Amino acid sequence: MIVRAQPKKKKKVDVKKEQAQKERMKKKLKKLEKAAPELIPIEDFVTPLKYSESNRVRSLPTLSPEETERRVLLLKKWCLFKQKQDEAEKKAIKALVESQQEALKELRLESEELYEAAIRRDEGLFPFEREGPSYTPPLPGYDPPEGKCIDITKVYTQ
Amino acid sequence: MAPSGMRGEGHQGLVALCTPWIELEKSCYSDHEIRKLEEEEQLKRKRESLYDEDEAHGKTVIMAQDLEEKWEQKFLQFKAAPRVTDADKSNDRTSLNRKLDSNLMLLVKQKIGNQELWLLPQVEWQPGETLRSTAERAMATFLGDHIQAKVLGNAPYGIYKYKFPRAIRTENNVGAKVFFFKAFLQSSDLSQAELKADYLWVTKKELGEYLKTEYLKKVNRFLLDL
Repeated sequence: MIVRAQPKKKKKVDVKKEQAQKERMKKKLKKLEKAAPELIPIEDFVTPLKYSESNRVRSLPTLSPEETERRVLLLKKWCLFKQKQDEAEKKAIKALVESQQEALKELRLESEELYEAAIRRDEGLFPFEREGPSYTPPLPGYDPPEGKCIDITKVYTQ
Repeated sequence: MAPSGMRGEGHQGLVALCTPWIELEKSCYSDHEIRKLEEEEQLKRKRESLYDEDEAHGKTVIMAQDLEEKWEQKFLQFKAAPRVTDADKSNDRTSLNRKLDSNLMLLVKQKIGNQELWLLPQVEWQPGETLRSTAERAMATFLGDHIQAKVLGNAPYGIYKYKFPRAIRTENNVGAKVFFFKAFLQSSDLSQAELKADYLWVTKKELGEYLKTEYLKKVNRFLLDL
């Protein structure tokens, strides 16, 4: 900032200019605060640009009609299998719920106090963690190779 | 349950056939594959034109192909544990190391009246307890105090009612109601447990060999075998 060579007005002009600057800054801050926070990008949904290059396109052999036929039939079988699996799951859940309702009904007939205790929420139940079995059981006495895991996930702040 | 027939061969067969082609065809080349393709190109050019662009540098280069062979070797050297255990082969039903792809349930032999029956562990409710505490006491009675199991909620999952035989019925006590709770065993290390009675760990399908029909019907409603 060029300060004009007017010794008497120097302080006032400076002070006014400083004040004006401060107010402008404050207004800018207010505007930024009012603006909606930027959305954090979901990295899984964004394809990195290097994968859209043409040399990345896989060259595949053409499929014979028998192969396409086989695949279509296989997918249909899969569809049916999944449908049956889903139906079975829904049926099992329904049976579970019915069984529990019946149990609670009978309990209520016995004792109101026990019933109240039974329908209370179990605070220690969630978060519930349970590991399912792996394809092969763990080898007894297996010594896993040494290594360090460095987490490079990007953390965004709003 | 309906898909039990599909489980063994059908399901795994389908999955094995589906996944390789879908993943391969819908994907782009990975960095490793690009490297491999480029190196193949280089090799081809070297052989055709006979001039050594890279050999002038005088350093050994690890090719992607070599890496793949190394990884393949390592994979072939690894031997996984078998899915069918010794307990499976000998049908040792007291072992927890059996039927690793299914859930196992605890059955104990208890004396009810004058009969010795195989049942899900049960104890009589004492006044002053909640039903859940009774269930936990039942676990402690049959598996010892050091057992780690997570009871799933305060509410019972099922009920079995029965009437006492006429001989022991009284005015107030015509029969009994048995409430069932579910709990997951946290660790399969039962060496600390003091198992007091005859016990078995069985799958849902095997329950029918031990439990009485009416009891089994009620129990089957809340046990999942998916």
